[in-house]
Amino acid sequence: MNRSALLLRSTALGAATLVLAGCATFSPDGGFDSVQTLTKERIGKNTRWVKSDADKAGVVAAIAPLLAKPLSVEDAVTVALMNNQGLQASYAELGISEANLVQAGRIRNPVFSFGRLTRGGEIELERSLMLPVMSLLTMPVATRIERRSFEQAQLRAAGEALRLADDTRRTYFSAVAAQEHAVYMEQVKLAAEAAAELARRMAVAGNFSKLDHAREQAFYADVLVQLARARQTSTEQRERLTRLMGLSAAALVQLPNRLPDLPTAPREVQALEAGAMQNRLDVIMARRELSGLASSLGLTKATRFVNLLDISYLRNSFNESPNRESGYEIELQIPLFDWGGARVARAEAMYMQAVQRASETAVNARSEVREAYSAYRTTYDIARHYRDEIVPLKKRISDEQLLRYNGMLISVFELLADSRSQVLSVNASIEAQRDFWMAESALQMAQTGRAAAPAAASKAPSAVAEPAGH
Amino acid sequence: MVSRRDFFGGAGAVALSAGLVSRVGAASLPEAPQMDKAATRPPLSPPNGRPYNPVVTLNGWTLPWRMNNGVKEFHLVAEPVVRELAPGMKAHLWGYNGQSPGPTIEVVEGDRVRLFVTNKLPEHTSVHWHGQRLPAGMDGVTGLTQPGIKPGKTFVYEFIAKRPGTFMYHPHADEMTQMAMGMMGFWVTHPKDVNAHRVDRDFCFLLNAYDIEPGSATPKTATMTDFNLWTFNSRVFPGIDSMVCGLNDRVRIRVGNLTMTNHPIHLHGHEFVVAGTDGGWTNPASRWPEVTTDIAVGQMRAIEFDATEPGDWAFHCHKSHHTMNAMGHDVPTLIGVDHRGIAEKINKLVPDYMVMGDKGGSMGDMEMPLPENTLPMMTGTGPFGGMEMGGMFTTVKVRKGQARGDYKDPGWYKHPAGTVAYEWQGGQADLPAAQQSPGTAAAAPKPGEKVLKVRKGSGHGSH
Repeated sequence: MNRSALLLRSTALGAATLVLAGCATFSPDGGFDSVQTLTKERIGKNTRWVKSDADKAGVVAAIAPLLAKPLSVEDAVTVALMNNQGLQASYAELGISEANLVQAGRIRNPVFSFGRLTRGGEIELERSLMLPVMSLLTMPVATRIERRSFEQAQLRAAGEALRLADDTRRTYFSAVAAQEHAVYMEQVKLAAEAAAELARRMAVAGNFSKLDHAREQAFYADVLVQLARARQTSTEQRERLTRLMGLSAAALVQLPNRLPDLPTAPREVQALEAGAMQNRLDVIMARRELSGLASSLGLTKATRFVNLLDISYLRNSFNESPNRESGYEIELQIPLFDWGGARVARAEAMYMQAVQRASETAVNARSEVREAYSAYRTTYDIARHYRDEIVPLKKRISDEQLLRYNGMLISVFELLADSRSQVLSVNASIEAQRDFWMAESALQMAQTGRAAAPAAASKAPSAVAEPAGH
Repeated sequence: MVSRRDFFGGAGAVALSAGLVSRVGAASLPEAPQMDKAATRPPLSPPNGRPYNPVVTLNGWTLPWRMNNGVKEFHLVAEPVVRELAPGMKAHLWGYNGQSPGPTIEVVEGDRVRLFVTNKLPEHTSVHWHGQRLPAGMDGVTGLTQPGIKPGKTFVYEFIAKRPGTFMYHPHADEMTQMAMGMMGFWVTHPKDVNAHRVDRDFCFLLNAYDIEPGSATPKTATMTDFNLWTFNSRVFPGIDSMVCGLNDRVRIRVGNLTMTNHPIHLHGHEFVVAGTDGGWTNPASRWPEVTTDIAVGQMRAIEFDATEPGDWAFHCHKSHHTMNAMGHDVPTLIGVDHRGIAEKINKLVPDYMVMGDKGGSMGDMEMPLPENTLPMMTGTGPFGGMEMGGMFTTVKVRKGQARGDYKDPGWYKHPAGTVAYEWQGGQADLPAAQQSPGTAAAAPKPGEKVLKVRKGSGHGSH
């Protein structure tokens, strides 16, 4: 191998880096613009990096009108992107990463050392000026690594923003559904209460046995527990949403009374997987990582023997003349025992590892996006089935039951039991609708960021055990 | 052969279909007339054969026949039918010749009768001539006396109507199903002597019962006892026609019971005698007066009375749940239960809910929507308001001047002044002068007659 050529190349590399080093200054946006763009391209929303009190005031002013009215899911995401402290912390990562990048792009300060030694009457002054040539040589590598790391930090920050948006959306739908559920449980409670009270009065009038009375009473007691649970779930979801939106009090959130309607038709997504390959941040990150490692591998191959090349400017002073000596010291490793093969193998292995990881990411991304789309379609179909079939059928059953009550064919207790079951089917319908919106969000996430937790259709709550009609 | 048009010449527009089962295979079969109305048809005066005094089938009709070399030939077609149980409700039943129950068969004692029975049902059937004396092989018991009549097949029954009296016909094949679906009919064998047991009005009908789920139309054939529609000739009040009589007419009502329970049949305003049973005419000396007679399962009774009291007289089964239509049997009693506050609560969930039953079972004048093809539980409106009746209920309308042979409903009875129960307003002055009971004056003690004083009992010890 032509060593001088290698050396030359390395030096040229170093020189080029010197020029580059001049560019490695702090960007005016701290790398945030790129995060902003990545986020905006994917979810169409701006995020903000709050760095000062003025920024904070701006956020407060921006979110105030959004909180003044019943919150839409888009507004919830907007607030979270501006106001979530965890997200701000990940933006701070960006600053740290950029600082590292700038640091890597700067030549280390020359070190001047001065030594004064006395030996009897002999004084030895030792001065040396050490220029960090080594860092010059390593700078291209370091800068590239740091730049990559900075880019990764940007992608990560954008990923955090997407994840936060997704979390917020899902929690929002959960919270609205839980609130609706609690409202409907109130109605179930009302029906059970009416039945229990009627049963009590019937017992008082001598028309009902203690057994029948107790049965109605027991059902009512059960319903109270379910109502308490429903309310608790509603509170939990609301608090989660409050946290994601970075708000100080849950009371600041006004949720609408119902979930958004189902879209008239489910989205037909073309080139779903190809889109995910283009847009998914984890895929992009994996791709960048790979190209970074590829160049590292090339470098390692090129510099396997000059790894420990050390050039320093030496200037020793002596108090005897010639009292000055100066020169270069270059240390070269002699590839006698170690031909650097292990290092190359290691770099190659690392590269191959990254290749596998990247392809795994791609495979997973494709699968996840398919799975998310399937969940999206399934939850849509289920929610629509609830809306168009089950709930109207239950309504029809209730109407028919009322007709039977009119004809004294069934009792008021059966009528009440039926109205409870109708309410429960409405509840199940709400849950199906919520699952759809969550799956919708998950699909968005699977196409842009990283797949969220699987958006499996939750089990519909089975109807509460009903007491037999009387 | 006499055409059907001749039979019904006086009966107005009666829709009858051509009714021939198969013109190719059945060229020699008598026609099988069809009936598509559930109204009472006027009596069918015999156009040929021996004379007799025809009966009136309540909400039914009599099957025309043809004479074939001295043999009376009838053609019954067993088939699915739609029977109106009352205006507003139609039942999907099985019957004969377009209706359920099938047409009444009227013959005269000694007639040779040939009955063609064509099966258009999806399963085999047979006809048992309930109460007749006939050759065992004509008795219509599937498996025992004959094979079942397969769908599409026609069987012939032939025998001499030996004994005068009241009879029925019904399948003796898959009975539980076929009777629950309405397969049955009436049979009257008139006496050879046209003047024997002669009456002015001779009504007949069957008692039957169905279990038709509110909102549906086909009976549940697996029901054993808990039927919800109790019917006279597959009709429920207010769908049952009145039995219209002239004042002082001698009236006979023949009732056959093909339900699975007994029915105490009760007539208001008159006493009657049971003049005929399953076994034939009862000895006049053995008849005793009744106002109610229990008709057991599978029995026939002919009751007779003189319609001496003008008015609209209730005639019904005395089992009170047989005089209302479908009602839930698991409905708890709400009488005396305070509904304040609860109704409002229920209204929030069921906006059209209305409190019912807290003051009793009467629905008053409430008109509320019901499941389709379902009759109100207790209904029928009379001149004084809601009658709150359904099922086995009708009236015997006795009118002065009702022409012989006129069965047209004369409308509600116009009560003479002072003969209707009225509200007590207090005070004596308003009371009309008491009418002397007939015979009171005659029974009054004549001058000098010793008057017996009734001595009241002085306690239980003296009993």
